[in-house]
Amino acid sequence: MSKSRLLVAAGAATAFLASALAPPATAQSDDEVVVRVGLHAAEKNLNPFIVPQALPITHDFTMLVYDTLFWSQSRLDPEPWLAVGAEPSDDYRTWTVTLRDGVRWHDGEPFAADDVAFTFQYFADDGGPGRYGHHVYDHPVFESATVIDDSTVELTFAEPVATFTLLPGGDLPILPRHVWEGIENPRADAVSLPVGTGPFRMTDYNPGVSYRLEANDDYFLGPPLVDTLIMPVVADAQAAFAGLRTGELDFVTRNLPAPLVGQIEEAEDLAVVRGSRMQSLYLMFNTRKPVLRDPAVRRALSAAIDVQAIVDTVEGGLGRPGNDTWTHPDSPWAHPVGGHRFDPAAAAAMLDEAGYAVGGDGIRRTPDGAPLAFTLLVNAAAPPQIRSGELVAEQLSAVGVDITVEPLDGPAITAARRPGPDGPPAVEMFIAVFESHAHADPEHLFFFFHTPGRGVGGVFSGYANPAFDAVLDQALGEPVETKLPLIRQAQEIFAEEAPAVVLYYPDGRWGYRPEAYDGWISDPGHGVFTKRSFLAPYANGAAAVAAESEPEPADETAETEAPAAAEPEAAESEPTPAADETPAAPPDDTDPGSAGAEPVAPASDGDGLSGGATAAITVAVLAVIGALGYGLARRRSRVGTVED
Amino acid sequence: MTAPIPRRGPRGPAPRWARLGAQYLIVVLAAAVVNFALPRLAPGDPVDYLAPPESGPVDPAWRQAVLERFDLDGSWPRQFASYLGNLIRGDLGISVIDGRPVAEVVAGRLGWSLLLVGTAVAASTLAGVALGFAAGWRRGSRRDVGILTGVLAVDALPAFFVGLMLLMVFSVRLGWFPVYGAVAPDDLTGWAWMADVGQRLALPAITLTLVGVASVFVVARSAMISELGEDYVFMARAKGLSDRSVRGHARRNAMIPVSTAALLGFSTLVGAATVVETVFSYPGLGSLAFAAVRARDYPVLQAVFLLLSLVAVLANLAADLLYPLFDPRVRRPGAR
Repeated sequence: MSKSRLLVAAGAATAFLASALAPPATAQSDDEVVVRVGLHAAEKNLNPFIVPQALPITHDFTMLVYDTLFWSQSRLDPEPWLAVGAEPSDDYRTWTVTLRDGVRWHDGEPFAADDVAFTFQYFADDGGPGRYGHHVYDHPVFESATVIDDSTVELTFAEPVATFTLLPGGDLPILPRHVWEGIENPRADAVSLPVGTGPFRMTDYNPGVSYRLEANDDYFLGPPLVDTLIMPVVADAQAAFAGLRTGELDFVTRNLPAPLVGQIEEAEDLAVVRGSRMQSLYLMFNTRKPVLRDPAVRRALSAAIDVQAIVDTVEGGLGRPGNDTWTHPDSPWAHPVGGHRFDPAAAAAMLDEAGYAVGGDGIRRTPDGAPLAFTLLVNAAAPPQIRSGELVAEQLSAVGVDITVEPLDGPAITAARRPGPDGPPAVEMFIAVFESHAHADPEHLFFFFHTPGRGVGGVFSGYANPAFDAVLDQALGEPVETKLPLIRQAQEIFAEEAPAVVLYYPDGRWGYRPEAYDGWISDPGHGVFTKRSFLAPYANGAAAVAAESEPEPADETAETEAPAAAEPEAAESEPTPAADETPAAPPDDTDPGSAGAEPVAPASDGDGLSGGATAAITVAVLAVIGALGYGLARRRSRVGTVED
Repeated sequence: MTAPIPRRGPRGPAPRWARLGAQYLIVVLAAAVVNFALPRLAPGDPVDYLAPPESGPVDPAWRQAVLERFDLDGSWPRQFASYLGNLIRGDLGISVIDGRPVAEVVAGRLGWSLLLVGTAVAASTLAGVALGFAAGWRRGSRRDVGILTGVLAVDALPAFFVGLMLLMVFSVRLGWFPVYGAVAPDDLTGWAWMADVGQRLALPAITLTLVGVASVFVVARSAMISELGEDYVFMARAKGLSDRSVRGHARRNAMIPVSTAALLGFSTLVGAATVVETVFSYPGLGSLAFAAVRARDYPVLQAVFLLLSLVAVLANLAADLLYPLFDPRVRRPGAR
């Protein structure tokens, strides 16, 4: 061990550094449009039977590869997609669907009516839980399919379904029969690359690491404007946004955290595109628990929550306060009035009246003397949930209700929400996030809040109210005109009963690199990372041209059909919490994967990461640590001397 | 070096290798038990991952079928027996997340982990030894205090913070290194591929090195200090040997505890790699374990934990076997 070894070591280190510092090798031809998309998390091979919803964009990701009969369920007039039309029978039980001709699967096989018939039957036969399947065995219950000819199929349901084109027509991915018919257990055995009809073919999938999608040049709506989508999984939120800034990523699927919006907008080569994914962050009560079973208590708790303050604090105002009528305001099924009743005085009075008097310590007592205290579960990996939970706890303590916020990891919350073998779930209340599916779906209230026994309500909320059920049962499968008033009626019962409280509807906002691709448009309910953003008939017009000719750098005109309620101007001028200083800005609330730290106290600095703030803070932190360490070291060496 | 130790009689102690082997076997078995139990003790199970409450009620028969598929049905003892049996046959089960054999999933990640952790162990050992010996040579000197302060300061920083800082400075500000992954998603070959791998390895490896350097440094420094207090050093100095050759003698003896510390540091770094790999989206075992914990993917967790335990055990074994190289006293028969 001496000079020679040290030399070897030094040589190795030099070689290592040299290789590390070599200029990045980039290999791509100029005329190809390659877009690098940073994903939050991996989503298997997009097997539609296993959609663990690791990604809020899973449905839209899946729909880059697969197609539905109509697109999409979040508008009342869905566009015929794989179908060219669908005619109901008089009783709305049978739908005759006419399909597009000349469509081919990614493997070259022709797409035909047979595939549609097979898909419905296959999902119905499976009968297991999943994002898609329950639309054909729960409601509407699928009965049979008859292939009339190659481009016509007759689908019969056990009950009327007037909104077939929305659901399941606008939601169920159509699968190729020749691929799936041999698969007995679709969850376990479908492990190869997906074969769909969609605008992109998946050509590579490195589990948990990355995806590669290539344009399906034979797509029936014309070849997509992007040739290749390279989609690495960048699990850390900070790393993902850093990748956007360094140019390694052209789009990040995470919602931009409020503090980063200004920075990305100011960056010369980056832009922010807004859109609605119809997300909601909500607080759910376990209505099967003794005290929470009482609607008066839930109503009081709801009235004590200041949803406006929560959206202002947690999202820097980039969102809309929750409505007591649950449904997202952008949904076609939204209650025309909505609103939230915030009235702490009335809440206190309601609790007094319900028999929960304030005790000596300011906490209310149940009639048998126990404190009125609840545990609120939030996802430990989602800072917006934690912060919302803390605010709720603070607001409820003002009316004498003691809330303990308990951050847990995803599976632990899921376990607490699952009913036990002989009783309700252990959870008392929890905060979670819902995507557009829970707002745009014509039967969304039915699926989530109908009494256990029908719908997924039994597992999900446990809410049971015969009057509410009666309205929903009546609305089930009705045509839009008669359904809308019934849904409205159900929403009013919901507001009155408060089985859940929507805290806010976050705005959708995403950072991207216009130079790489500028076609992003907002498809309401889908955000911008969705198939229409890549298709010439829909994509941002200027961008489509730019993508075809030479891209023009730094074009910041990415503003698209964003919902009116979002007010980017107001948001910009507002002092945002400075997550810039700690490089740990809050990740997207819906993301269970990243454990970003919370932003520190507000600061006036708006420049942040791009400016000298990082360096200054680093130096300061290092100086403090250094000083402490120095002191420690000095002391240690002195102690050592004495010992000797 | 595993020269048979002469037996002291017909009922004397078993040979050293046999005792060592038995010890390690027991440790591995105990690790297997813990690795089996730990994931199951956390609330939630793979069914919750495959069918979250939002997706509807779970039929008990369906649940049972899923559990059977992953060999997770029945009582824990039955599962454990089956797990051990399969393990002996080399079957690690099926990943809940991927539906692929666990061996395949783990094999795809192992190489990257070895590259990352191996680089970091080598670098942190070299740096730790160099700094430790330099600092320990004149204890209490300005240089000693300076190095000690610096190393302890770095050690006080959490790994994810170091990683993010490096990322912000070297990737975002300076643009020297990429921010994610182990290799570019483009199709690179040959030297370009190697250069890219090296470039993407740099930041995570430096982060891990910074995490690991202090433990080696502290041991190296104190070993050097204590060697310098030994009689033979006093003698050497009295003889008028140069600083250089005194240092040479002290160094060799100080390497004994350092080698152990470096090898044990290996297991620490494997653990720290979980965080670092997640920050840099590095596709090693750490990020795999992170994803598997979130999905309660028991088969993958068991395999990764077992592998990490084996790494720790092997590091210990290596320390045991390397000892005689540095310390001739251990080589003598009957010394232990």
